[in-house]
Amino acid sequence: MKTAVYFCSCGTNISDKIDPRTVEDAVKKSNADVIFKTAGFLCSEDGKEFLRKDIIDNGIEAVVIPACSPRDHEKTFMNVLSAAGVNPYMMQMVNIREQIAWVTEDKEKAAAKAINYINAAISRVMLQEPLEKREIDICSDAVVVGAGPAGLKAALSLAEAGRKVTVVEKSPTIGGLPVRYEEIFPNMECGPCMLEPIMGEALHGNASGNIEFLTLSEIEGVVGSYGNFTVKIRRSPRYVDTEKCIGCAECIAPCPVSSKNPFNCGMNDRKAIDFSFAGALPNVPYVNAGVCLRFNGGEGGGKENAGDAGDNGDNENAGLCRLCIDACPVGEEAFKFGEKEEILERNAGSIILATGSSLYDCRNIPSLGYAKIPDVYNSIEFERMLASNGPTEGSIKTADGGEPQSFAIVHCVGSLDKNHKDYCSGICCEYAFKFNHIIRNKIPSAKIYHLYKEMVIPGKESGGLYEHAVEDKNTVFIRVSDINGMTVKEEGNKEGEGGKKIVSYGLLRSARNSDHYCASGDNGNISVDLVILCPAVVPGKDMDKLAGILEVVKDKNGFFEELHGRTDAGRSKIKGVYLAGTCHSPMDIKEAMSEGMAAVGYVLSGLVVGRKLSIDPLSAVVNQDICSGCKVCIGVCPYKAVSFDEEKGSSSVNELLCQGCGTCVAACPSSAIKANQFTNEEIFAEIGIMTA
Amino acid sequence: MTEKPKISMYWASSCGGCEIALVNINEKIIDLDANFDFMFCPCLLDTKKSDVKELPDEDIFITFFNGGIRTKENEEMAHLLRKKSKILIAFGSCAYEGCIPALANLFSKNELFNTVYTDNFTIDNPLNVLPVPKSAVPEGEIEIPQFCDALKTLSQVVDVDYFIPGCPPESKQIWNVIELVISGASLPAKGSVIGAGASSVCVECDRKKEEKKIKKIYRNYEIIPEKEKCLLEQGLICMGIATRDGCGALCPKVNMPCTGCYGPPEGVLDQGAKMVSALGSIINVDRIKGLDDEKITEKINEVIESIPDPAGLFYKYSLADSILRRKVNI
Repeated sequence: MKTAVYFCSCGTNISDKIDPRTVEDAVKKSNADVIFKTAGFLCSEDGKEFLRKDIIDNGIEAVVIPACSPRDHEKTFMNVLSAAGVNPYMMQMVNIREQIAWVTEDKEKAAAKAINYINAAISRVMLQEPLEKREIDICSDAVVVGAGPAGLKAALSLAEAGRKVTVVEKSPTIGGLPVRYEEIFPNMECGPCMLEPIMGEALHGNASGNIEFLTLSEIEGVVGSYGNFTVKIRRSPRYVDTEKCIGCAECIAPCPVSSKNPFNCGMNDRKAIDFSFAGALPNVPYVNAGVCLRFNGGEGGGKENAGDAGDNGDNENAGLCRLCIDACPVGEEAFKFGEKEEILERNAGSIILATGSSLYDCRNIPSLGYAKIPDVYNSIEFERMLASNGPTEGSIKTADGGEPQSFAIVHCVGSLDKNHKDYCSGICCEYAFKFNHIIRNKIPSAKIYHLYKEMVIPGKESGGLYEHAVEDKNTVFIRVSDINGMTVKEEGNKEGEGGKKIVSYGLLRSARNSDHYCASGDNGNISVDLVILCPAVVPGKDMDKLAGILEVVKDKNGFFEELHGRTDAGRSKIKGVYLAGTCHSPMDIKEAMSEGMAAVGYVLSGLVVGRKLSIDPLSAVVNQDICSGCKVCIGVCPYKAVSFDEEKGSSSVNELLCQGCGTCVAACPSSAIKANQFTNEEIFAEIGIMTA
Repeated sequence: MTEKPKISMYWASSCGGCEIALVNINEKIIDLDANFDFMFCPCLLDTKKSDVKELPDEDIFITFFNGGIRTKENEEMAHLLRKKSKILIAFGSCAYEGCIPALANLFSKNELFNTVYTDNFTIDNPLNVLPVPKSAVPEGEIEIPQFCDALKTLSQVVDVDYFIPGCPPESKQIWNVIELVISGASLPAKGSVIGAGASSVCVECDRKKEEKKIKKIYRNYEIIPEKEKCLLEQGLICMGIATRDGCGALCPKVNMPCTGCYGPPEGVLDQGAKMVSALGSIINVDRIKGLDDEKITEKINEVIESIPDPAGLFYKYSLADSILRRKVNI
């Protein structure tokens, strides 16, 4: 194989330390047939033209370029090779600038090192094989999982860019958590109102035709890979036709049965047919088949025993409750009681995970009394209490119906704590001061205690609410060293009856307590009417299942793990599966929205309509004849590119997902997996020369 | 009538099991005899070295050479038989890759002699007599073959045409090779491993294999393995994944982990390293996620310490032919 070495002096960057003539003589001595040329700046236009012409003139088949780091100019020179009609993978760069010239003082040693490296590169380049990039057709549509701020933003923006988007939302409503918040920090905007323009645009705007919302739906399975996923979606029945229902709510009052409303954290009841909460979108109620009389053999009321809505009107529906149907101004056609769970399939090139998060279960710190003592709430429950469409219609009440006059807001519950969650969620202090603000407006004389471990209020707008709290003379800050050791008890023996709660933190008062924040006049106990716990933000409950289906890696806390925590936080380790919002890290609404937009950027730039997807040939390849089917490789791939074909009894690497890391190559005990351009032969040839 | 082609079998540093494996082709030995002149085999026949010496070069059609090269005599015979044979086959694990005798490559000659001749409970050697090449006795001087510093494989000493793996090679496979030669079919490329497959033992093992995650390593006596499930997945270090197929997965079929006697699969340079690399990929990855470095090291050490003899386990057969070959500076 006709091989040439093109030595780049990089001005004097390289040649100052490494004498090209010395190197040339030595290299030619050990490789008599190799052509050796030196250039001043190989990456300059002149240099590239010289390289191209010289390769053609001499019929060169393989090229070694001792120059800078391949991170600088590997692509540059590969392009030159292509222009010269030589396969661009028939090249090996040798980084003699960063790794030798810039770090070796002694010129003799530098030259010796360079000679060694170049000889090693020659030995391997001769073993290299031409590789071809492959191109495949792609589907530019996307599936977005989760219809919270991040998911909505992503879906709407993709739709506006002309992409078809399917939004898969497991709950009956869209908007995620913020639509359940009456007011949102830092500017006390109304949550549903703030999201309304986005939700409205997505449901009815110009681009809404490109968005399909599948509520009450979950991902059931995913096959394929980046550019061509097939997503299976399981949609549970709503029993109400989202197209025909006009959202008038006439059906609700007549419904004879109720159950706890999960959207108000079970703090009030909803009818079997009802909205999740007033103003929920889509503006269509849903039926809880668990209690609805039609599904539970109970006879209700309503017109004659006629057969009815849904299907066929045959007699099996005779006698069933139809109070909602009778109340409906649209009529029977708005109901689909015959609806069954369905499995839908959608093709998509990209998947955006925006599944959100939940709160750490405060029962994990039993001494705080959560779920045992009345009037001890977690922050979402308190948000619902504050909401005008919530269980108390916005009035703050204790369990016995009175207006609380004193509050303990406990920050850092389960946060910054090795035994629970070792991170700070970064949003709790901010909403705690929002609570402070709202309580103060509603109950001007209330005493409010903030118990916290660390105060974290980042962001240019967050100072306002905090200042209000600090300046407020009826707000007391108590810094404690440990939340776990605190206890919340009911005063006296009135267990379960409501009344004062004693929050004891005495011995835990932090030594770092500054005077400014110090509570005075207490003995380590405070007596309050209502306790609000602000727990760590944790992964949502269904994330395990989803991670299993998509084979997305989770981090040690159970959040979806980013490809890179800083430079590629919006990408999962699975190519084409993007992360937005709190499914990968706690964050506020602003960040979640930005992340939704960022995911759109990945989708739009990664899969361009009309463009094919090019596959880098530097991937791992399985030799099916040698593979014995031992399955050692299956679990090792961080990108889930290795799969097993039970029929053939061998593994295969999806070259689209493969990043060429070589983990499976090292793991394969029978050397059935080869890494293109990093074969054993190539590597051992290099090592052989280096150690000779 | 043309003379039958000659066939010979020699043992260098070996146990004799290879000869038994040959005889285990049973009545087919008659076919062997019908087709070949089985003319030299110190274990079975009475012909001598001098008889071989007198033959013209390349007069023996095939020599099955078993045993590693441990002594100067082994080396001399290797050269002689190379010269006199048309086809020289490294027969069995010792000749091919060193096998168990090569584990001695982890010790110096002195250490070995001390262990064998002095520091051993069952040895009574008050005069501390150690083997030396030449010793004077009343009758004159006797000479024994010199013991080399390290055991070498046959191909590290002479040019070898083919390799038949196994400790010992399976009789069925030996016969396959002989039959191939008898059939007159064209022989594989020089340097090939013959009488075996190219993949690993797993292709012949019908245990159920799943994605592998090993929590704890067990020694054979510690557990009774489940019958259907991959032994490696049960924590027994079964070398089958990093061992060439061809034996029929005999050991795993009877609940014993493969010890690797068929050597590395095609294309694997170092069986032991490959096994370690594969094990490193499947041991306990989930449990270390999120731990600090110290804890991770602790956990890794725990696993490593549960393997009392890594060299004897991973390099039981292949040390002499591995990248390591021997301990240096001893």
